[in-house]
Amino acid sequence: MTGGAAGPADRAVVCGLGYRLPERVVTNAQLCERLDATEDWIVGRTGISRRRWVEPGEATSDLAVGAGRAALESAGGGPVDAVVLATTTPDYRCPATAPDVAARLGLNGVAAFDVSAVCTGFVYGLATAAGFIAAGLAERVLLIAAEAFSTLLDPDDRTTQPIFGDGAGAVVLRRGRADEPGAVGPLVLGSDGARAELITVKAGGSRFPFRTAVPDDGSQYFQMRGREVFRQSVERMSAAATEALDAAGWELREVDRMITHQANARVSAALATRLGLRRDAAPQNIAEVGNTAAASIPVLLAQAALDGTLKAGHRVLLAAFGGGLTWGATTLTWPELEVHDA
Amino acid sequence: MFELLKSVMSEVLQLNVDGLRPDASREDAGIDSLAVVELSLVLKQHHGMEITDDELFELATLAEIVTLMEQRKRTAA
Repeated sequence: MTGGAAGPADRAVVCGLGYRLPERVVTNAQLCERLDATEDWIVGRTGISRRRWVEPGEATSDLAVGAGRAALESAGGGPVDAVVLATTTPDYRCPATAPDVAARLGLNGVAAFDVSAVCTGFVYGLATAAGFIAAGLAERVLLIAAEAFSTLLDPDDRTTQPIFGDGAGAVVLRRGRADEPGAVGPLVLGSDGARAELITVKAGGSRFPFRTAVPDDGSQYFQMRGREVFRQSVERMSAAATEALDAAGWELREVDRMITHQANARVSAALATRLGLRRDAAPQNIAEVGNTAAASIPVLLAQAALDGTLKAGHRVLLAAFGGGLTWGATTLTWPELEVHDA
Repeated sequence: MFELLKSVMSEVLQLNVDGLRPDASREDAGIDSLAVVELSLVLKQHHGMEITDDELFELATLAEIVTLMEQRKRTAA
């Protein structure tokens, strides 16, 4: 794989994009029927007005298949050599969800596995897909980030229940050169397991397995230490974003769009303030879809590309932060893409 | 220092500071549990004051926040 003067064709280039949200809309008013909270309190704390949740019986794979199909159509069809699924909410504890998704997309037989990095899953997935291409294992990779996070939430916890939405976003990555539009730039990834306690679903794993009964102490639900997570997310994402810009040789003022994990509208605002980026360069969709965890970046990319907020030629900075703790950032110049509404 | 706090509250936290008095409670002034983090980050980044969000969270009024800011400004100087 030599590319002559233009550089080797060993990079991952975005060539397809799609997303899928579940049909069911859940408003703040609906949540407040049960929670000890008001609609104003939820909007003030999170910036979220409504979110989409799966119906009972609907699973992560169902959303993943929809997003994956949309991304493959956007890429003009054709084969892929691997399906990587970033998720916090696999359909089952065993096996991984990606092989089922691949089979349902007509891709049975290709390499398929899940990546677990919570809300940073999409950026870790980009690194995984880029590695497959650089190592010569794949010419094209379908990367899907899909979450049914509502299935993890404590129905009585006002600090987590309003925040999360379900959804899926996907990209197709092909082999290409670093100087092409859509080429994934230098990737910055990190983790801090010493702060694992900040974001957890403790029960149901090997430490606290479900045997005969589900525990009733809340440990089966998603738990988050909000204030510390807020601080860590702003500090880690700003540091990772700065490092990714340096590695790409870009100045902050050259960034046209910063697409970040949609954790909370106030995290995004604080991040823009800290970096010194004008807020209109950081589009958000959290008011309408909530925090869709790993799916939030590709869902926002797709919606921003569809409504014209994101245009071919834009210099784009991506940054994410999640449980683990994990974080990551990268850059790319937005390519010409045909994106279809979900 | 109260004016500095008000300007950060207004410009960065986007809170309404009209007619705000130093004896106003932190919560009533709109500095909730997330805003103490935002305030802590900005005071450090732009004003060189090391005040943790835990410290701010323990304070009941704006006057107490101002007192702590004055102490830390002296420490930093």
